[in-house]
Amino acid sequence: MRNLTVLAALLLASAAPSSAVFAADAAKNAALREDYIRAPMPPGFQVVPTELEGPVYADAQGKTLYIWPFRTMRVGATGDNENMSACETKPTTETAGMMSPYPPGLVLPELDKRLSCAQVWPPVYAADDAKPVGGFTIITRSDGKKQWAFNKRPIYTSILDKMPGDVMGASGRRERGDGPAERDPIGPAPNVPPGFDVITTAKGRLLLTDKKYSVYSYDKDQPDKSNCIDACARTWLPVLAPAAAQAGGEWSVVNRAPGVRQWAFRKKPLYVSTQDTRTWSFEGSDEPGWHNVFTQEAPPLPKGFSTVNNEAGEAVIGPNGRAVYTYTCGDDSKDQLACDHPGAPQAYRIAVCGGGSVEKCNQRFPYLQASADAKSTSRSWTILTIDPKTGHYAEPGQAGAIRVWAYRDRPLFNFYGDKKPTDMYGNTWGEFNGKRNGFRVFFVRDDFFGAAN
Amino acid sequence: MKHTSGIKAGIAACAAGAVLGLSAAASADDAIVNNIRDRSIAYAVSGGHWGFYQTADGKAECPDGINDVGPRETFKALFPDDGTKRSVVDTQLAREAAIWSPEERTYDFPYHYAGGKVGLGLNLDGKVGPNDFTTPDGEKGIDNQLFRALGCLRWLRGPDGIGYHFSDIYMREFNYNRGLIELTNVDSLADDPDVDVTIYRGRDDLMADATGAKIMPGGTQRIDYKFGQKFITHLKGKIVAGVLTTEPVKEMYWPFAWFGGNPGAQHILDMRLRLKLTQEQANGFIAGYENIEEWYYGLARGRSTHHLAYGSVSAPGVYKAIHELADAYPDASGKNTAISMAWGTDLTQVFLQKKPQEVAGDVPVASKTERAGDRR
Repeated sequence: MRNLTVLAALLLASAAPSSAVFAADAAKNAALREDYIRAPMPPGFQVVPTELEGPVYADAQGKTLYIWPFRTMRVGATGDNENMSACETKPTTETAGMMSPYPPGLVLPELDKRLSCAQVWPPVYAADDAKPVGGFTIITRSDGKKQWAFNKRPIYTSILDKMPGDVMGASGRRERGDGPAERDPIGPAPNVPPGFDVITTAKGRLLLTDKKYSVYSYDKDQPDKSNCIDACARTWLPVLAPAAAQAGGEWSVVNRAPGVRQWAFRKKPLYVSTQDTRTWSFEGSDEPGWHNVFTQEAPPLPKGFSTVNNEAGEAVIGPNGRAVYTYTCGDDSKDQLACDHPGAPQAYRIAVCGGGSVEKCNQRFPYLQASADAKSTSRSWTILTIDPKTGHYAEPGQAGAIRVWAYRDRPLFNFYGDKKPTDMYGNTWGEFNGKRNGFRVFFVRDDFFGAAN
Repeated sequence: MKHTSGIKAGIAACAAGAVLGLSAAASADDAIVNNIRDRSIAYAVSGGHWGFYQTADGKAECPDGINDVGPRETFKALFPDDGTKRSVVDTQLAREAAIWSPEERTYDFPYHYAGGKVGLGLNLDGKVGPNDFTTPDGEKGIDNQLFRALGCLRWLRGPDGIGYHFSDIYMREFNYNRGLIELTNVDSLADDPDVDVTIYRGRDDLMADATGAKIMPGGTQRIDYKFGQKFITHLKGKIVAGVLTTEPVKEMYWPFAWFGGNPGAQHILDMRLRLKLTQEQANGFIAGYENIEEWYYGLARGRSTHHLAYGSVSAPGVYKAIHELADAYPDASGKNTAISMAWGTDLTQVFLQKKPQEVAGDVPVASKTERAGDRR
């Protein structure tokens, strides 16, 4: 229904100047959600739209489903092999020594509160009489229980997800070397024609060719009509549709010339840029009138937030005009449990930001506090109430508690050494340059190392 | 004693050229090809190393030996494998805390400084002091205390130290590190008393030969005005006997990612260039002083404990060394806050691909260049 509404709006506006059409269209685009290919699912499973990851598979309660791909670490490997679950019900107590240079066998923090892998990532059990459906199969866990799997990987939910559409357990964004062995949310394939792909970025679900090159739209085009010809079309190559291509849903075909057909998405003809020097590029959008194309955009930054270009990319700036930092942490147990949220042990963060001192940590990487009138604008950008002395969630009405901005329910921080919006002196601070236990600037665009992808 | 330079031969030649007044190389190149266009020529970074003098056996510059105590060694010494059950907090995180808060701890493990009298770099203060080095070619008064602090780290010694080995690779492969140096108002690469020098960052890959191993002159580069504003710096210089020497500027940022995904910058105070120029190459030093706190955390943020362990680099040991050897920019208490240094850089000629508005100078640039003052 949403798509039809937009389609009608575009048709009504087709006589107006093209830029006006797309300007009016921009607000609606922000509210659009990614379409997906319907595929058979087990009984009770569903597809749920999410703000950052597009449509994801969820259980009957709407909780997002995840897998834990097997991954090679610095030393050894962990995660789920095909048709086997490594996520057990007994809590681990020691490190596995997977992250050089520290040895295995070190006792993990707060063992009295430590949960097992299966408590943090509850397996999605299958009924004894359940039958495989499409890509969903069934495995037998070490305790004999049946568990659903997707593409042969066991499926879990996350205790961090509170409501349908939450994907707080893990992100589908590209993993970087030396980070924890993360889980991935799973979802249906995007409804794009052959030759296209969609990836999750900080700015939204980015439409690419299947060779991973960004596709672009042009302000001077009209709905289903390209005005990029001659020299323009030599720099901006139309994404050609094969003779057999069929229009459908949000996709249409533009006839540029007899026998020359171009794909259009939501009525916008699509192009790739000959000037792009890398895949997953945002460089084309630097040209006035040209834009990357998203199947759905990420939620807007909260009021008072903005972005700035520094030497490494486009960074998020808080209401105080300073770079915003995220904190990443995964422990070195076999389970690779996250320690980057207020419900987890804080000893990791306190060590790298304060040398073991909470006070120094709060001075060096202060929480990005929310003003009294600040409000959460999405499930991605929220405000948490934190006890700054412990780093954990505060009790209701607790004295000394502070309201802090969070992204994906992880608190955000500033760095005391940053004096200007473009400063980033705390970037890559911590173990494995902030990938394993540390701080990194929140980039929404990184042309150099892909930190925003 | 036979010596091999820790940096490229061209860098040593740069010093030699400056001392001996050689200009034959530039003249010979001029006869073959002329890459000067509209009185301009540009070069892009294609390699680089710290300006550390190095002999084959290391005995001359490291009389006390090469440092061999890094993260693994300190961990083993502090927490021997004697069956004691230890916690992450008391061991791993305590060692990380020592890296990220080194000022609160003492470092009691052996750490060897570079010694001897021979070193590379520039005479930054115009004086010949007791701690200064002399180049292999006899130039005295070389200020490079960073060499004294780090010159005996296996990690940074060529050709097989991990940090040394990957330095060239990262300069070539990371476009983040694509420093550009453009000379304008230049009439001759052999001698020109007044040239303008502008530092930018480029946006493009380097042009290599068919093997991919050799960077070729004649490639093109676009200037990074979007994310590279921090690096744009203007200098005045002169060319004598094929060697460009610039006047110092108050500060300059040089793009410097120690490792993939870890963007950084060398923030060099009282910075000046000395580069041997040809039609196809520029080799020499970027030299000045670096704030020791900024430099240390640049190292820690650029290379993880794991990566430093491969070169037996103890970050707390480095912290102690550069604080002891800092030689400039004293604070109110008289304690020096910066250390003299030289970065050996190799650049290859490129043509800058400028848009019309860039040629016309109609591009917003946050100009910040100031002449160097007396901070010492």
